[in-house]
Amino acid sequence: MTITAADIYLLLPLLLVTGTVVVAMTAIGIKRDYTSAAIITITGLLLSAIAAAVLMPGTNQQVTPLLIIDQYSLFFTVVTCASAMFIAILSYPYLLALDDNREEYYLLLGVASVGAVVMVSSNHFVSAILGLETMSMSLYGMVAYTVHSKSAAQHPLEASVKYLVLSAAASGILLFGMALVYAQTGTLAFSSLIDLSDSSPGDLGNGFTVLALLMITAGIGFKLSLAPFHIWTPDVYEGSPLPATTYLATIGKVAMFVILLRFMEASEALAFEGILTVLSLIAVASILAGNLLALMQENLKRLLAYSSIAHMGYILIAIIASYYAEGRIGIEAVTFYLLAYLIMSLGTFGVASMVSDSSKEYDSVDDYKGLFWRQPVLAAIFTAMMLSLAGIPLTVGFIGKFYLFFAGVEGALWMLLAAMVIGSGIGLYYYLRVIYRMLEPAPESGAFNRSEQTASAFAVVSVLFVLLLVLGVYPAPVIDLIEAISAYI
Amino acid sequence: MLELIWLLPTFPLLGFLALVLTGGTLPKQIAGPIGAGSIGLSFAVAALIAMEFIGSGEDYFVYEAWTWMSVGSFSPGFTFYLDGLSTVMMLVITGVGFLIHLYATGYMADDPSFARFFSYMNLFVAAMLMLVLGDNLVLLYLGWEGVGLCSYLLIGFWYTNPANGYAARKAFVVTRIGDTSMAIGLFLLFAQLGTLNIQDLMHAAEGEWEVGSGYAVAAALLLLGGAVGKSAQLPLQTWLPDAMAGPTPISALIHAATMVTAGVYLIARTHILFELAPSVQLLVAWIGLATLLISGFTAMTQSDIKRVLAYSTVSQIGYMFLGLGVGAWSASVFHLMTHAFFKALLFLASGTVILSLHHEQNIFKMGALRKVLPVSFASFLIGSLALTAFPFTSGYFSKDEILLGALAVEGVGTWLWLGGLIGAFFTGIYTFRLFFIVFFGESNVKHHVDKEVGGWHMNGPLIILMILALVGGFIHVPVEAVFSHGEAHDEHHVSGLIHGIMIAVPLIGIGISYLFFMSKTFSVEKLMASGMAQSLHKFWLGGWGFDTLYNTLFVNPFLFLARINRKDLIDRFYALIVALSQAANGMIVRTQTGSLRWYALTLVAGLVFIVTLGALL
Repeated sequence: MTITAADIYLLLPLLLVTGTVVVAMTAIGIKRDYTSAAIITITGLLLSAIAAAVLMPGTNQQVTPLLIIDQYSLFFTVVTCASAMFIAILSYPYLLALDDNREEYYLLLGVASVGAVVMVSSNHFVSAILGLETMSMSLYGMVAYTVHSKSAAQHPLEASVKYLVLSAAASGILLFGMALVYAQTGTLAFSSLIDLSDSSPGDLGNGFTVLALLMITAGIGFKLSLAPFHIWTPDVYEGSPLPATTYLATIGKVAMFVILLRFMEASEALAFEGILTVLSLIAVASILAGNLLALMQENLKRLLAYSSIAHMGYILIAIIASYYAEGRIGIEAVTFYLLAYLIMSLGTFGVASMVSDSSKEYDSVDDYKGLFWRQPVLAAIFTAMMLSLAGIPLTVGFIGKFYLFFAGVEGALWMLLAAMVIGSGIGLYYYLRVIYRMLEPAPESGAFNRSEQTASAFAVVSVLFVLLLVLGVYPAPVIDLIEAISAYI
Repeated sequence: MLELIWLLPTFPLLGFLALVLTGGTLPKQIAGPIGAGSIGLSFAVAALIAMEFIGSGEDYFVYEAWTWMSVGSFSPGFTFYLDGLSTVMMLVITGVGFLIHLYATGYMADDPSFARFFSYMNLFVAAMLMLVLGDNLVLLYLGWEGVGLCSYLLIGFWYTNPANGYAARKAFVVTRIGDTSMAIGLFLLFAQLGTLNIQDLMHAAEGEWEVGSGYAVAAALLLLGGAVGKSAQLPLQTWLPDAMAGPTPISALIHAATMVTAGVYLIARTHILFELAPSVQLLVAWIGLATLLISGFTAMTQSDIKRVLAYSTVSQIGYMFLGLGVGAWSASVFHLMTHAFFKALLFLASGTVILSLHHEQNIFKMGALRKVLPVSFASFLIGSLALTAFPFTSGYFSKDEILLGALAVEGVGTWLWLGGLIGAFFTGIYTFRLFFIVFFGESNVKHHVDKEVGGWHMNGPLIILMILALVGGFIHVPVEAVFSHGEAHDEHHVSGLIHGIMIAVPLIGIGISYLFFMSKTFSVEKLMASGMAQSLHKFWLGGWGFDTLYNTLFVNPFLFLARINRKDLIDRFYALIVALSQAANGMIVRTQTGSLRWYALTLVAGLVFIVTLGALL
């Protein structure tokens, strides 16, 4: 196997992110400077997003057996790097006052992004697990980043230990499943299972295959916090510093979902009835559990953790639909919703982190009481994010949900759609509750009493707000793009 | 040039946004030009588009601005459809609309909510243009509901007076009944014919449904329900007189020239459907006739200057419905246009009168105003002549065409014609009753009137509308292509006698009015002396008791039911859902113990569960 210059050219986005980490590390080694570490990271992520966007037209090539560089993976490289850049910008004011070494945070963020870019470009178990672990390892560090700080706002140690132990166990399950696949086929490409799907039931080989697939499903299910593997999510979200939560909730989920999608499509695992049933049950359980858990939740981070469980359940419906429905509507729906989910979650966490810092986080719903009377613009943005999460028309969340629903209808998945409708109904309650809280008379103290806000963070949430509206009102160009790239899956 | 059609609703919408996003804080010097200017720009574009369109000789023009989203087979879009009918509508809306906006900058000058007023007005024009230019039912419905909302907001514009709020609610609720009927009709059309595009729908209906078939009749009836609600026809006419609670420019724009004619537009737009249901089409004619007669009688008894005009509007739209019902489509559209001219003129002139008399609306407290208010006098004279179809004014041509259309119908045509003629007779009486009482006779004005309120931006529109009301009848309405296959083109030979009758009848009405209210040859008091006349007058004054009837039939029973069902039964069901969700939440949160070993246990248990399940299947 040789790597040609053309291959290197195609790997440019990945190499740029990696290079960014190296440059940042060197810079820190020479002279500790928080601002320059942040600027290097942000610039590097921006450059790699641009590089991926430039490469995108007409690219479709396997680079080494491990990585597939096609329009789909490049699209998600752009999305991942841009999101990582947004998170880096939002992190800056948060960590500014931390009484500990702050610079290494950006190294962790950069390395996590390397992992994420590998994940979205992976169609091989080895690259999948490498990317996943690269990202997870960095995330453990990010979750625990404020651990030495005496004034840390959250419980980073608890969150990070819980995450480490459970995530490692889940990785173990995932690896076991992959080992079983290898035992069957002798290769580790996602597509290796395709020949096994038509072996007769009752066959020993068939049993192994199903077991392997179920273990992989369980492992991925944990990382995506799908029920019944969701229990860790709220504790980790709540205990982590806000920027780490944001990373975990957005890029962490989206990159994993891309792997799940590629794996399901390449291996045709859905042809097994057992897998289909299990996935359907997982979807329904996630939707109901997530929404019901969020119902009375008073902590914003936990609320968003639960709501992310439900959203992952919604997307799973489209994955199942891709098996039943004609054409690629299922894949398109998954892709659009992932994008929508990224925008809404980044925006929501972004607003929350704008007013928090490492010594004080405003993460109770009560903290947002009266926000409309203090900060109307910020409150409007936050309201739009909430409405979008609830799936109200003219927001990107509505189009995404409509897309999922349409895919479900095409696949005639009535039970799953019923769960989605019930879940959305419950969801409306707790999203609107947050909005309602913002309209109440403002108390004397609370979040957003401070008037000074970093312009850069405000710019980030404004961009997300505009994206949310534009994609909600005029999604046609993005839908066209997604239709085009979905052909590569 | 035609591609710029999307600019038409965009200008008013931008005006609305500019006025609203500044929170209604813009000073008049800026809000006025934005509010009126946006409509002016729209009119300029509309005029250019109309010239090019008519010059091109094409039957129609379709412009797809953008598709909202295209998911599978579902792709609702912002597509504009321009043909003769929508050309007329857009010119009336932007043209008359601009004049009224201009007038309103003067009329509303002292109002503290000046910017809010213009923001609603602009939103209204945007919605109305959407309604007439949309090529699919979604856009049509968007505009339909949009104008309804603006009508509500503007009737209740002076919201500090609870009566205005009541009038606004009444208008909203009554038209809502029609809207619901129309929505069901649209669903029916979509469900049966499978497309949202109006033109495709009409062709599909023509192809799939036979004349008089059940679906055609049902769909036409449901749409008619929407039309009578919006256009204040029997039996949903009761809201329009109360809608006069809004500022007078609103009455001119929404409740005379544009929105209330949306029902006429709807029926004209879907005329193919109505031709497939001849019984419903005939019903349209009878509704129109009944409405025009009833409101004609009522108009004779009113004492509020705006209410007289309101009933006259209802009556004139009755004529349009009559025309639609007898298949005189283009005559109805023609009358729609001329009516917009002369009725806007009358309303604006009445606005000047009201403002000059310090918000006096009772005509019996006016009198002898012709010298004091010369511009209003001239406007009223011309507007009244056009309204009564005085020969060679604009109203004469259009009403003439409608009545001839009615006469051409076999069978009942003569009766419809006769009814229309009686209506024209009463139009003559009530119009000139108003005119003579307000401008002649003794002065009953209490407050001293210094001079007529005016200025170029109030008098300019009046003068232009006077000209239009006079010569508007010579404008050719380019709708032949729209109604090409539906209209009886064979010229009936109508004898000179019939023409003579049609000219003479309104004149006799005017003459009677003169004898009663001008020369006092006959005395109203004597006429009113008998008990029967008294009770008839009371009956007519109250709008034929429709309000009382509806209060007894619907409002009071509803309030009664609401009272006995104070602890809502249906609510119990929803309370159950709430309780269930909370119980489920209470159970499931117990799984979140926070303890790591429990979390690890659930992870393993979950794995065992799905592996067992998967292995068993």
